[in-house]
Amino acid sequence: MGKTKEVVYGLYSDEQDLLKAVKAAKSGHMEIHDVFSPFPVHGLDPILGLEESRLHIAGFIYGMIGALTAFLGMTWIFTKDWPIIFGGKPYWSVPAFIPITFETMVLFASIGMVVTFYIVCGLGPGVTNETLHDRLTDDKFAIAFNTHDVTVDSAKSFFSQTGASDVNVKVL
Amino acid sequence: MNEYVMPTSQRTLFLGGMVLGIVCLALSWFVGADEFHTRFWTNLLHNTVFFTGISFMALFFICVCITAWAGWYTLFKRIWEALSMFMIIGFVIMVIIGLGNYFGFHHLYHWNDADSILNDKIINHKSKFLNKNVYFIGGLIVMAGWYICAMKLRSLSLAEDRNGDDSYEHHHKARVWAAGFLPFAGFSSAFIIWQWIMSLDAHWYSTMFAWYSGASWFVSMIALTILIIIYMKSRGYYEQITNEHVHDLGKFLFAFSIFWTYLWFSQFMLIWYANVGEETVYFRHRMDNYPVLFYGNLLINFVMPFFVLMRNDTKRKFGSVGFVAAIVLFGHWWDYFLMIKPGALHTAHELAGHGHGGDHGAGAHAGEAVEHAAHFVSGFTLPGLLEIGVFIGFLSGFLYFVYVKLSQAPLVPENDPYLAESIHHHV
Repeated sequence: MGKTKEVVYGLYSDEQDLLKAVKAAKSGHMEIHDVFSPFPVHGLDPILGLEESRLHIAGFIYGMIGALTAFLGMTWIFTKDWPIIFGGKPYWSVPAFIPITFETMVLFASIGMVVTFYIVCGLGPGVTNETLHDRLTDDKFAIAFNTHDVTVDSAKSFFSQTGASDVNVKVL
Repeated sequence: MNEYVMPTSQRTLFLGGMVLGIVCLALSWFVGADEFHTRFWTNLLHNTVFFTGISFMALFFICVCITAWAGWYTLFKRIWEALSMFMIIGFVIMVIIGLGNYFGFHHLYHWNDADSILNDKIINHKSKFLNKNVYFIGGLIVMAGWYICAMKLRSLSLAEDRNGDDSYEHHHKARVWAAGFLPFAGFSSAFIIWQWIMSLDAHWYSTMFAWYSGASWFVSMIALTILIIIYMKSRGYYEQITNEHVHDLGKFLFAFSIFWTYLWFSQFMLIWYANVGEETVYFRHRMDNYPVLFYGNLLINFVMPFFVLMRNDTKRKFGSVGFVAAIVLFGHWWDYFLMIKPGALHTAHELAGHGHGGDHGAGAHAGEAVEHAAHFVSGFTLPGLLEIGVFIGFLSGFLYFVYVKLSQAPLVPENDPYLAESIHHHV
């Protein structure tokens, strides 16, 4: 695990308040550590200036690997390794390979993307990540500042101006 | 700019296209030694079926959206309404073709040949469904049902513009009509596709065919919608339509291109695997005698849209999505060429072979050319210049009709309950 960091956060009870607060922080040049929400908030990504995810590119590559694995694998099996005639068709029967190629492509792409997503997010079996506040998994939204970037005092005044409650400092 | 006014240049362009189409269609009557004028009648049937289908799918999709409580399409609902009104023109032509079965204008359908009904066991067996009365009367009932629903939904939508209020009475009525139309559309479109298209290969049948043709219509309809929206925006109309709406249409174009391929391939693979002679003849004929169209069909309607539209941003940029839409629209016209021409030519060949003056018939020549194709025959195994001309003519006529309908009503339905949702649509 990386080194621990100390964050100061405040809770908002409405996503519109959250969006306003994030805008205010951005215009005030306060570096936001992270924003927490129980569901995807529409329009938050562009305000935070997050890059588009590259997960789909990984998905495309996994899919291609899956398609090639299935297609070349069947080609090898049915022409070289163990040729069998099915229903009078040629050994290398491309139309019959298509459904399996497709399914393997989907399998590789989906499993590969899930695993990649888990690794990128630091999730996995046996991993427990500290939750900032329990209600962030229910109905509250939070902005967190790293105390290295933003002093606790200025963060507290920012939170009181933007109407946040439960302002706290926590070590993650 | 809520009222569309057709510029003179556009009117001239469409009228010019229509004149070109009529000239090409007329020429395809006279060109070559074609005893039954099969080239003329197949061109007419091909384009009528294609554009009527686009029209039907526009109506179908309005009904789907209303029933699904969808709001994103409301801004450009009028375009689909305008598309759906074209049906009536297609129906007039289909009535002529239906009457042609009685009066022998054409010999498109093998099942309509008296000799075949008597002597051909398969056609005889199917003659309770494949006969001119079912074709004409059944077709008339279905067409009337479609057109009544199209008229009703449009008139409700226009009435809502004039005197819609917070009770949303018009919308509730439209919901009832839409929900009632959907099951009717599902069964009747299969009936129409069997009768109009699949029965051209009278001996052959496939249970996937109706879905496959229907998917082709649907993709064409989405492609045409995208092109019309891009054009309207370039003229300064529809400022509220953003690339968010086009993104959703692009997703439909992408998804239904794949759906079409799925159906195409499922039909092909089952027939290929089962290897029953009565079924494989359909593909054997097309693979041997129409190879460019047969394989090109998959490239243009699957591989190209699949790889181009896979990315997020190519679905949002007007340039890339418009490019794909234009190609796919033509590609599905080509798909219908492949569904319609080979069967009708085969029929002409058969009929010319028995009883219509031996081998002097031009149908026979065309048929022979196809049966022993050492080279491609323009207009028969490949769309010739006349076919392209007829396509341009029909497209011009179709668009002229659609733009006339668009200019008759406000472009944005002001009182639709979903308008606000559509304006703020964001994906």
